[in-house]
Amino acid sequence: MSTPLRTPMPSADQPRLNPDARLSVEQASYVYAPNPSQAPLFTLEALSFQAKPGEIVAILGPNASGKSTLLKLISGALEPLSGRVFLSGFATHALPPKIRAQRIALVQQESRLLFPSRAWEFVLQGRHAYNRRMHFESEEDVNIARNALAQVGATHLSDRWMDQISGGEKQRVILARALAQQPLLLLLDEPTLHLDIGAQVDLLDSLRHLAAVNRYTVIVVTHELNLVGEYADQVVLLQKGKCLRVGSPASVYQRELLEQVFQAPLTVEMTVAGRPRVTLLGKT
Amino acid sequence: MRPLTLGRLLLRCSVLALILFVVVVIALKLGAVQVSLYGLGRDLVRVLLGQSSAISSDYGMIVVDIRLPRILLAIVVGASLSVAGASFQALLRNPLADPYVLGVSSGAAVGAILALMLENQLSLSPEFAGLITPFGAFLGAAITISGVYLLGHREGQIDSNTLLLGGVITMSFLQAIITFLMSTLAGGNLRGASFWLMGSLSTLPPRSLLYLVGIGSLVAAGAIYTTASDLNLLLAGEREATHLGVDVPRVRVVVYVAASILTAFAVSVSGSIGYVGLLVPHAMRLLFGSDHRMLLPTSAFGGAIAVVIADTIARTIVAPSEISVGAVTALVGAPFFIYLLRRRLS
Amino acid sequence: MPNSGPRKFSLLSSPISAARAAALFLVCISSLRAQASSPSLPSPRIATREVVDEVGRTVRVPISISRIVSLAPSLTETLYALGVQDRLVGDTVYCDYPPDAQKKPKVGGAIDPNLEQIAALHPDLVLLTKSLNRLDTVRALETLGIPSYATDPHTVDEIISSTQKLATVLNVAEAGRSVADDMQRQLGALEEKLGPLPPKRVLFIVWTEPLISVGKHTFIADALRRAGAASIVDSGQDWPQVSLEEVVHLQPDYLVFTSSHLGAAENDFESVANRAGWRILDAVRDRRYAVISDAVNRPAPRIVSAIEDLARQLHPEAFPPAPAPEKKPAGPMEPLLLQQKPGTMRPMTLTGSSESPCAR
Repeated sequence: MSTPLRTPMPSADQPRLNPDARLSVEQASYVYAPNPSQAPLFTLEALSFQAKPGEIVAILGPNASGKSTLLKLISGALEPLSGRVFLSGFATHALPPKIRAQRIALVQQESRLLFPSRAWEFVLQGRHAYNRRMHFESEEDVNIARNALAQVGATHLSDRWMDQISGGEKQRVILARALAQQPLLLLLDEPTLHLDIGAQVDLLDSLRHLAAVNRYTVIVVTHELNLVGEYADQVVLLQKGKCLRVGSPASVYQRELLEQVFQAPLTVEMTVAGRPRVTLLGKT
Repeated sequence: MRPLTLGRLLLRCSVLALILFVVVVIALKLGAVQVSLYGLGRDLVRVLLGQSSAISSDYGMIVVDIRLPRILLAIVVGASLSVAGASFQALLRNPLADPYVLGVSSGAAVGAILALMLENQLSLSPEFAGLITPFGAFLGAAITISGVYLLGHREGQIDSNTLLLGGVITMSFLQAIITFLMSTLAGGNLRGASFWLMGSLSTLPPRSLLYLVGIGSLVAAGAIYTTASDLNLLLAGEREATHLGVDVPRVRVVVYVAASILTAFAVSVSGSIGYVGLLVPHAMRLLFGSDHRMLLPTSAFGGAIAVVIADTIARTIVAPSEISVGAVTALVGAPFFIYLLRRRLS
Repeated sequence: MPNSGPRKFSLLSSPISAARAAALFLVCISSLRAQASSPSLPSPRIATREVVDEVGRTVRVPISISRIVSLAPSLTETLYALGVQDRLVGDTVYCDYPPDAQKKPKVGGAIDPNLEQIAALHPDLVLLTKSLNRLDTVRALETLGIPSYATDPHTVDEIISSTQKLATVLNVAEAGRSVADDMQRQLGALEEKLGPLPPKRVLFIVWTEPLISVGKHTFIADALRRAGAASIVDSGQDWPQVSLEEVVHLQPDYLVFTSSHLGAAENDFESVANRAGWRILDAVRDRRYAVISDAVNRPAPRIVSAIEDLARQLHPEAFPPAPAPEKKPAGPMEPLLLQQKPGTMRPMTLTGSSESPCAR
């Protein structure tokens, strides 16, 4: 904690708060402390940004920068210490579990199942939020689930057992379950961690397509610089609990900034399409 | 893709109910004394038609007063233990969990033994005398349930791992108390306690108790069933379940309390009959899958069938003597458990 | 029929409830039937009366009792002593004395009798004892409407009075009085002989591993007293476990074993004598032990002969070598087991450390 932090961006570059934005994070902060009398273990300082339907937002930063904490604030798992996180006008933390599950879907890296189930059963779990307490899935639920599998290109996995498919295939099924929730907000926590490169690109391509077609707001937590540069519409750059910059990839990917955040020498180039590309240099 | 439907559920339950019925009829026929079921049926029909007023004394008392209540008790106990076992396996996310892992049965045993010791000091009228041991057992179980809950919750919610730890520790502690108490018991009390600890359906409980336990178990099982689809999701992990719309703290409390009460009821009338709560859910999962909407009812039937069969074996194999039901379930259960284990590993 | 549209089914607990409702229904039916079909509940046509048994229960028994089931060997013996063995329709597998009792229909053990078999015999009365039988058995019989009567003697005198009370319940008061008188006479004669002599301190051995003796409130302890012995174990429990150290500290004069037949007795002593710790006992060193029949374990008239037998072994000086033939009491009694002096070395084969079964 000894390197001096860059001061946050001047307010002129911060997006003005649009009251009609789907997701609105307004000066939200959080503090982890084992008990009130001790010093906090980790602080996520107040930050703000907004996201629209059809947009992919990347929360970017090295480990322990607060990405997961921010994701938990957005998903409503944590209540912000100050400020608020609004989804279409409702504070995410205050939503009852079923309603929240209808609006926010979370895709995690792994899914540990105690007793194995088939892929279609797994995807059907996404419909739980729409049904009454004691129910059986309806024809509509089944169609939605089938559709979700098709959208991620996993229809052929439908009858396979979850513990017998590859990591990438499992990731797709998990995504399908999230889609079956028909959410407004799609959250992904380090989705590319266990995937090989081809699968990573496939996933991001799917996300871009799904965001456009189904008008999701997609929030991806990651530290993959080039994937973010290529696919994100907006980037929230975090370091050690502080938001350093919010903006388009082109505006956030400044060489000195990135080098300081990721502690590695690199170069930034622009592609023809206006997307930044980062090349890591060796420490010679 | 074939999701579970009510029709499939009812069909499977009907098949199991039919099997249970057949098993019950066979169990009524078997026993230390020969009875003619045809004669019984004929007399029953006659009474129902109003042609005569009583069942022949040759077998009426044996079948109706001795065997039938015992079989009904076996059904209630078997169903309760299986549903409780399946629930604890889901709640604790542990396939090795059984109804006794959280110490409920040990608490009930302590309560029962203390009640036995107390019984000798008081001389009660017959109606109450028969109720003291089950009541003591239930009280012991209830105290244990509350104690383990207090041990097992953090930040206001039940935490599965802490709960399991708390339960296992409590169980060890209570077992030590039981050993101590047994060493101080004399003669008749010791015999009574041993019977109770081994698990036995041979003591005919008073009718009132049978009704109470039956209805109470039904209510508790119903409460668990309302969370069946939540339990399916809970198996994936509490964070995922929360994000899929499950109110995890509420479900945990409901399942914990209801499953513990089911166990307490079963144990207070029959002692600790082992392996049923552990293995019947696994067998039903093998047959019908892990969806709790199907698993819970089929486990109830499966447990009832298993305990009726085990009890029938227990009381006929060395007739006129009996071996304890717990011994039969252990002898059959252990090899089956090994089979399940190998299946999982392969 | 697949679910269609948004219809949701909420009666999902109906399969379980239906089954349980059926079960409850069956229970209701059965309770009705119980009312209708309890033939052994004394109906108004059978004359009954109330008696209070020895554990304080008030029971309603028929005045004329013709079918008895005995759930304890001591009660079986007593019934034979009272001469009502023809009314005994069933007893336990442990009821082996007199030999005729072994031929009676068996209903199982004393602790776990088979209710069905008891019910199938249609008894008018079931006899039990508090020390041997379980309370659950009593309750089960009550639930079935079968009258039961429990005895609970704690001293030899109580055995005598218990026999008389039982005889009254069974309408053979005369036989009861006669048996009681015989027992009193024998005991009285014994008391005369033993009167001035100090009691011998004994350890009564029920079981050797663990070492279990008898408590002071048992009839066995009282029987020992009548035989001119005093149990060194002073415990309120019925079957206390005694530490060997305590025994060594107290150094009993004699060890008392029970056996059901000759030969096993010597084995008992030999197997014990060779063990560490036991060898320190004076009684073991000097081979001072007595063996009596297991009749002492049963609170029945035959206990008197066991008492006398023990007295002879412990106080041989009280019994002159040419005894006048004593008037034997009426009823079948086993002849006195051992007439030799205690501790005599007899030629025998050591067959290892087999223990004689714990006599009951």
